[in-house]
Formats: sequence, structure tokens, C-alpha cells
Amino acid sequence: MHFLWASIRKELKRRFNDPWALFMWLAIPATFGLLMSTVMGGGGPRIRALLLVSDLDDSFISQTLPAAFSGGQLADMVEVREIGEIEGKALMEEGGASAHLVIPEGFGDDYLNRRPVDISLSVNPAQRISPRLVRDVLESFLDLGNYLHLVLGDELKAITALDDADDLLSEVTALISADISRKITKVGPFLFPPKIEIVDRTPVPEGRPVSDLLLMFPGVLIMAVFFAGNGMASNYWTEREKGTLGRWLVSPNHMGIFWAGQFVSAMLLLGLVALPILIGGFFYVGIPFEMLIPSLLWLMLAGPLLFAFLMLVQVSAATSNSADVIATLLMFPLLMVGGSFFPTEAMPEWLAPVADFTPNGRILEPLKQYFIGTFGASGLLEALAPVLAATIVLIVLAWLVVRRRLTN
Amino acid sequence: MIEVKDLQKSYGELLAVKGVSFTARKGSVFGLLGPNGAGKSTVISCICGLLKPTAGTVTVNGFDIVGEAKKAKRSLGVVPQELAIYEDFSARDNLAYWGAAYGLKGRELKSRVAYVLERIGLQDRAGELPKNYSGGLKRRLNFGCGLVHEPEILLLDEPTVGVDPQSRERLFNLVKEERDKGTCVLYTTHYMEEAENLCDELAIIDHGKIIAAGTLKDLRAQVGESDIIQLSGTFDPIAVEAAILGLAIDSEILVLSAGTLVLAIEEAAAQLPAVLQAVSSTEAEIRETRLSEPNLESLFLKLTGSELRA
Repeated sequence: MHFLWASIRKELKRRFNDPWALFMWLAIPATFGLLMSTVMGGGGPRIRALLLVSDLDDSFISQTLPAAFSGGQLADMVEVREIGEIEGKALMEEGGASAHLVIPEGFGDDYLNRRPVDISLSVNPAQRISPRLVRDVLESFLDLGNYLHLVLGDELKAITALDDADDLLSEVTALISADISRKITKVGPFLFPPKIEIVDRTPVPEGRPVSDLLLMFPGVLIMAVFFAGNGMASNYWTEREKGTLGRWLVSPNHMGIFWAGQFVSAMLLLGLVALPILIGGFFYVGIPFEMLIPSLLWLMLAGPLLFAFLMLVQVSAATSNSADVIATLLMFPLLMVGGSFFPTEAMPEWLAPVADFTPNGRILEPLKQYFIGTFGASGLLEALAPVLAATIVLIVLAWLVVRRRLTN
Repeated sequence: MIEVKDLQKSYGELLAVKGVSFTARKGSVFGLLGPNGAGKSTVISCICGLLKPTAGTVTVNGFDIVGEAKKAKRSLGVVPQELAIYEDFSARDNLAYWGAAYGLKGRELKSRVAYVLERIGLQDRAGELPKNYSGGLKRRLNFGCGLVHEPEILLLDEPTVGVDPQSRERLFNLVKEERDKGTCVLYTTHYMEEAENLCDELAIIDHGKIIAAGTLKDLRAQVGESDIIQLSGTFDPIAVEAAILGLAIDSEILVLSAGTLVLAIEEAAAQLPAVLQAVSSTEAEIRETRLSEPNLESLFLKLTGSELRA
């Protein structure tokens, strides 16, 4: 037992003497995760359009145009800023806005009197999505205005003819309102057809809403565990080529202690690597912190499956170089298929089930389901048994390969 | 004590060790001398239980290395040819780790580590990582890792390869101290001088077989009192042989090829001019002449017809 502890201590101390390797195990998946979340729009500011409006008419009708962008989600996507025509043009030339709308003087009158009218919209050619959004919304709004004019043209004209606030309370106003009401009632069946609504019957999983980031996060974690596991497994060749493994084999200790030491130190180091990513990820993705300890324990207990798998690869190879090549050739497709680069939810239907047959997929999927809320910590515990069994089988196989190779 | 009887080790078709037998005793240094690839390391690997013998037996302190491996290994301290140390683990940590591997712990482990650090001359650099050490210091640490648990039997597999003279001298002293303490030391080397300087008993091994064994005195007796004359150049072997035989002096041709002539000859210094004249008369081209007193190298030459360092 004392020597087992000495072996674990040795592995940990050696790793701490090489902090760059530890850092790289963390840095690569963390960088990948940040890049992916940025690409998917999970982090950083959202793109917003800036619409400059120069209202030279300043009438009731002209003021309704910018109001088209003030409601609902459009308000989040388009910022409307009133500005003088010259300043607006200057800002557009600097590329400081997405579009510039100039409403000419007399626009309201021309609209009400059904005279052709032009409004000018200039867009920023350096931007692709935002100007198009402004143009489409504006066109839809003008179409609506045309129909409104056909139905309520006289009433609109009468409203705009009212001079002051007192008129709005007068008998004339009441008459106009009654007229509008009568006309709307008349054309109501055409204007307001029976409501047709799409009802989403997709079953909603229990638990928290599933975002792309939440689906990606376990993949990043498993990637870090995979890299760390590979680094630890490749230590086999360092020990073998240096002769320390040979020195070990001629000591009176049972080989099982060596493997137990490797396994336990792998478990602790995987926990050490996973912890900062877990904490950072929980903050970033918004996972409740009461899930931290079960997640960490899962990675420490199930993660050594990846170490054991890679250890078997390392000990089976003929040289350290071929071991590295084989491990790399296996790791990247496994990360891809096992759901680390892309969540299984984004994979084709035929490919997604393959993840279950990969060692990393067996660790990733239960963790993801736990984060999503499909099951609780007890679900992780249930998923652990087969993972541990597979780990033990792989470790024993690696042990047998080493014994056959080095002592015959 | 180590007893090796009819040891054989094969790798597939290749028989690397062909029936080696010897006994290494307590309080003595037993040398296994032979050129690179002679099978010395394979014999050591079989003795320490790293390799399983194909045939024969190895007994360490009375325990069979195959059947009672754990008991046999307890009394062994091994210093392998490679630098079997953790370079990213301090010297003190290395010694403590390998001490723990043999059951040392607590105060005993600490005092043994301090003692060995002092003996190998690393007490001032004990906290440093060996990757910053010179080759000689690494060798010393490698040696210390084999000593830390105070083994009764010490296996040293070419422990001075690539070592500076100062570290080499220190390692020799350590070996002698261990022997004087009663440790049984098995020392493999291809350096004749090391074997002559350190070993009480020797076995000369070549191509997996022991070709001569005994004390240094026994082995020297096998060479006789003859000195060695070694000529290198271009020779006609038949003509040269006839010329040497025509000299009518007491000599023995050990090696004669198109490029080398080795003669065992009494009072070589006095006979050398006659030998050179005889060889030159065959129109041979002599490029180098060496004259040496009888030693293990000359025995090896006599027995195998090739140089020990080859």
C-alpha cells in the first residue's frame, strides 16, 4: 500500500514538474470550445443593424415608418437613430451604419392624396445581412400602408387634418373613430381571417432549455480528458525507453501495483484537468453548480476508460513513434464520431448511434443527458458500471501485453 | 550468492545465451567480460528475473528466480545499462521512490536516501531534476537507485558507459566498498581495464558462451608469459606465416589475416626488429605496430582471434 501511494505521488509530482504539458491538455479543448461557441453565436455581442432616419417631413404618417422597427424582436435587431440628412450621409460614408432612410418633405401629404412618392434608402455595401433586413421590413411596411390607405384613406386624411389636441377630443374625432370602426367591422372578415396558428407538438424534454452550447460543452470536456489520457498513456513508452519500467519489473512488487498506481494517478489527473473546464463551462453555459461534484466524479471515474483504451494502444504498438501515430489516427475520428466536435444531435440519423460504441461517446452521452436534465446523478451512477467494467478489461489486456512483451 | 547453471535464452531461432554456468560469491566482485552483443545483458536480465530463461536455472540467495521470484528479487539491487531514472523527478525523490519499491519507509527510508546521496556525491544537488545533470551525475544517480535498499546482491550492467573519469573513479570506489561490506557484486563490462581493476573472479563471454573463467591469476596463466605484437597493414597470410616460422623463435600466431597479424611472443621488445624485417621481406605494407604485455585482452585474442573492443 505504501508503494502504491509512492507510485501515485511519483506520477502526480512528475506531472506538476511539467506544467506546460498540463496547460496544453487544458488549452487545446478550451480554445476549441471557445472557437466553436463563438462560431455558433454563443458568446460575444450579437450583430445589430443601425438604421439612420432623416425625417424631413416630420408628419404623423412619416413618423410611423421608423416605428415599424420598434416592436418585438425587430427592436433587438435594429437600432433606429434619428439624424439630420447631411450627418446621416456622412456617417454612411464612414461605414458607421447599416442603412440610411431619408423621408422627403411632403411625404405624408403625397401618401394621403395618393400621389406617387419616393423615399430614399441607402445601404452599407460592406454589410450583408443587416441592410437587407431593413429593406425587407420597410417594403412590407409600405405594402401594409398601401392597403390601409385603400380602406381607410379618408379617415387617415381627416385625422392628419386635425390641428391640435383639443380636436382629438372633439365630436369630429368621435365621428372619424365611429367611421373607422364601421369600416373595419365591414371588411373585418377579409382583414382578420380565422386565426391559423402552428402549434408545436414536439415533445419538450424535461429540465432546462437545450442550447447549442449546452450540447457542445460535454464534448469539450471529453476532449480534454481524451488528450490528458493520451498524455498519461504515452508515459508507458517514456518508462520503457528510459528503463524505469524494466527497473520496476525487477523489483519484488506485483505488476498490479504498477497498474493500480497508473490508474489512480490517471483518475486524479483527469479530475485536475477537468475541474477548471467544468467551472469555466458552468459559468459560461449556465449549468447549476450543484451539478459540479457529480460531473467531476463522473469524469474521474469514467474518464480512465479513455486512459485504459489509449494505454492498450500504446503497449500494443511496436515503437513509441508508431504508438503516437496510431493513437492520433484513432483519437480524431473517435472525437468526431463520439460527439466531441459536433453533438450527436447535429449528426445524420445513421451516424448518431455510432457514438454509443466509441469509448468517448460512452462517457460523453450520459454526462450530456445529466446536464440537460434527462436524468439525475443516479442516472450517472447507473451508466458507470459498464464503463468501469470496460476499463478494467482494457487495463488487464494492457497488462498482459506488457508482460508478454517484456518478460518472455 | 548467485548460481547460474546451464543457462540458455533464445529469441525464436536465435540462441543468445548457450549454456552459461558460473557462481558469484558473497563479498566478491564477479566480472562478466565480453564484447558488445556477447550476451552479457541477456544473462543479467535472466538473473534479475526480467527475462525468463529458455533452459537452465538461476538461483539468487538460494531462491529460484523463476519459481520464487519475489523472494529472490528482494535481495537484488540492479543497476541497468540504461539510465533508469526519472529525469523529471528530483534525485532525492528518485532514491525515495526506488527505496519504497523495496519496502523501505519512514525514517529508515529517509536515512538511507541521505546516506546514498552522500555516497554518490549528490547531496548538494539532491533537490534538482536529473534532466539538468551531466551524464556522469546521472550515472551516479542510476547507481544509487540500485543501492538504496542495501541489497545483498548487486547486478551492475556496464555501469560506467559514457562516464567521465572522475565519476568512473567514484563508481569504482563504490563497487569496492560494497564488496568489502560483504555484498555479492556481478559486474558486466567490455572494458578489460575495469575487469582487471575490480574483479576477483571473471568469466569471459563471447557469442553467448563462456570461453574462459577463473580468478585473474588463473586467466593470466592461460595467456602465459608471452607479450603481444600486433601489426596492422596489408599482408599475404601464407607468405607472412612462412616468414614468421622461418625466424625460429618461440612465438605463436594468434591472428593472421590480410589486414592483421597478432603474435604471442616472449621478450617481444627484443624480437620486434626481427619480426618486422621478416614480415617486410614478404612485401607486406605495415601501417601500425603495437606491443603489449600479457593481459585479458591478449587472452581474448588468443581464444577468439578477435579484439575485445570489436
